[in-house]
Amino acid sequence: MIQFAEVSKSYQQKLVLDAVCMEIPRGEIFGLLGPNGAGKTTLIRILNQILVADAGHIFLDNEPINRLHLKQIGYLPEERGLYKSMNVGAHLLFLAQLRGLSRSEALSNVTRWLKHFEIYDWKNKPIATLSKGMAQKVQFIASLVHEPKLLILDEPLSGFDPLNVDLILNEIKALKQKGTTIILSTHNMKSVDEVCDRVALLNKGKILVQDSVQHLRRNHSKGLIFVRFKGNMVGFANALWTDFTLLDQKEVEEGVFECTLQIRGSHTLNDLMRSLQDHVSIQHLSEILPSMQEVFVDMITQKVSENE
Amino acid sequence: MNKLLILVKREIVERLSQKGFWYMLVLGPLIVLIGLFAILKAADQGKQDIKVLIADPGQIMAHRLMAQEEKNVHYYFIDDYLELPEFQNAKAYREFDVLLELNEKVLNNKKCFVFYRDQLGLDARIQIKFQVERRLEELIAAKYSNLTEQSFREIKQGIIFDFRDLKDPKNESKEANAWVGFIMGAFVLFFVGLYGMTIFRATLREKSSRIVEVLMASVRPQQLMLSKIIGIGLVAVLQMFGWIVILGLGFEILQQTVFVDIFDPSNWDASGPQRLNPLSELVFEQLNFSFLIVHFLLFFIASFLFFGALFSVLGARSNADSDGQQFLLPLLFLIGFGIFSGIYAIYFPESSLTGFLSYLPFSSPVIALIELSKGVTFSAYIELLLSLLILIACAFVLLRLAANWYRKSILRF
Repeated sequence: MIQFAEVSKSYQQKLVLDAVCMEIPRGEIFGLLGPNGAGKTTLIRILNQILVADAGHIFLDNEPINRLHLKQIGYLPEERGLYKSMNVGAHLLFLAQLRGLSRSEALSNVTRWLKHFEIYDWKNKPIATLSKGMAQKVQFIASLVHEPKLLILDEPLSGFDPLNVDLILNEIKALKQKGTTIILSTHNMKSVDEVCDRVALLNKGKILVQDSVQHLRRNHSKGLIFVRFKGNMVGFANALWTDFTLLDQKEVEEGVFECTLQIRGSHTLNDLMRSLQDHVSIQHLSEILPSMQEVFVDMITQKVSENE
Repeated sequence: MNKLLILVKREIVERLSQKGFWYMLVLGPLIVLIGLFAILKAADQGKQDIKVLIADPGQIMAHRLMAQEEKNVHYYFIDDYLELPEFQNAKAYREFDVLLELNEKVLNNKKCFVFYRDQLGLDARIQIKFQVERRLEELIAAKYSNLTEQSFREIKQGIIFDFRDLKDPKNESKEANAWVGFIMGAFVLFFVGLYGMTIFRATLREKSSRIVEVLMASVRPQQLMLSKIIGIGLVAVLQMFGWIVILGLGFEILQQTVFVDIFDPSNWDASGPQRLNPLSELVFEQLNFSFLIVHFLLFFIASFLFFGALFSVLGARSNADSDGQQFLLPLLFLIGFGIFSGIYAIYFPESSLTGFLSYLPFSSPVIALIELSKGVTFSAYIELLLSLLILIACAFVLLRLAANWYRKSILRF
């Protein structure tokens, strides 16, 4: 469990983090979301002990975080780089040793991870000769070569092609299965939808919300329903009466329609099913939940209008 | 392994894997040797006629010198004492460039004074010393031992020739020695500047490549900064050591082949000193070289820590090479200031400004080495150690401050 207790930080009298409180349970993939300049990187740097908080504390398994914990933390920063003069194997070995592994441990881990990602033949390649995507992969390995219990990934998917995005997302899921806690800071909301258990939304240094992805999406539901049915469109529209508004309709094959509805008032899906069952044959009916992208935009714009 | 050691090791491996390091290691001293050879050769060819008046009241030398005299040095005798003002001002003596005073007990006390009007080249000094010393040794061997002249020279105790400026007969300036100290001090600051730039660039490169954020998630900024200073400093020491070895070997080869050492008895044959070695005269006879080298290293290490911290902070504060160049100028100016303060100290050794500069960390390495090469009394040596302590203390204070500045600056992209 990672706890942030009232963590604050200012740069030249500008408050970047304002008494941030947050809890991240062990073994979860936790999405740290927020617009640019929200304070995500600062929070991550404090967790990595690159920066010191002006106030507040961070606890790792109920212990105030200290430099001894660094061995348990892996970090892939958004702005990443490698020494171009070194080769892949030597570079990974160097970073693993800095994380506290002995030379032999580091050597064995480097070999294992290079083989795992099927890039063992890059071992003696100079970093300078790698493409951007290849270098990103090496950096990703560097963040987990010492097998940390907590992995912090700041925009881990940027710079990857779709094939490698899948590879990295699968690896993130596999690490979760092994019990690694992962903090994922990203603007890629599709990946948040796909892998995150819980998220926190940070805006102007404050936590706006922290919840599970499912809860957030449900809480921001606009009452939209998707229906596919076989039957008469006029009969369907009449059955809706005034309780549901028909937003969109499309005949996908002879006599089969797909429609988007919006619930009015306090009506439910069950009410809709009862209204329709005598008029059309329902093939599919489900609530349309907003994507995390929509939740994100919704919350930030709501916050902006509140401030105005 | 300690994280600092891992970082230092990486720095060293990176520098040693660069071709530039090896080129500089070999070509640098070779260029110095070639330059030195050219200067000495040119000096050999540009010899001027020098008239030496030997005041020999005891007629010890009996108006005789060794058979082979150098053509450009001419000797004349006077069988009486000669007061310095008289030699300096009397019309009869104005044609003489040098007055060599032989006291009547020279065969026992083995010391004589040589006063010159204009600065004498090393070559001329060695000519005079060689000629007079050989004649005196011939007399000592005949008078006090049954040994042959050759056997006597092999076990002899050398005669001290104290060269002094007529305008400074008490020999208070010791200018020639001071220049050696100046060269060593300037050498210290040259290497500090050269490798300081490497620290600057390495820090800037780490910052602009963004690797620094990954590193700082594992190590403290102080460790990162210190690793640069120590790693690059060790490479600088290695290169300096290489220079010293190559220059030493070069001197030895020059000594054995081109500038044969006249102080080596085996080279004393009847033909006299055809080829001389002014370097060995300066290095081995006039200076306490090993003493100087120890202090040279101490001041080098302290200066490197001091300036290294400044260079690393500048690297951390800069965002691009062009941005860094303008920050570098004041620092390079300070190194230049250190070197020029050495020149000032040679010409105005007793001024209060020189006293102040000798404690200022920017200039103290050069001035201390100048003082050491001239020779210091115990109390002056204590003052010198104090200046070293101030430099070390300033270096450590600066390292602490710099680590803080470095931490604040390094993540400002």
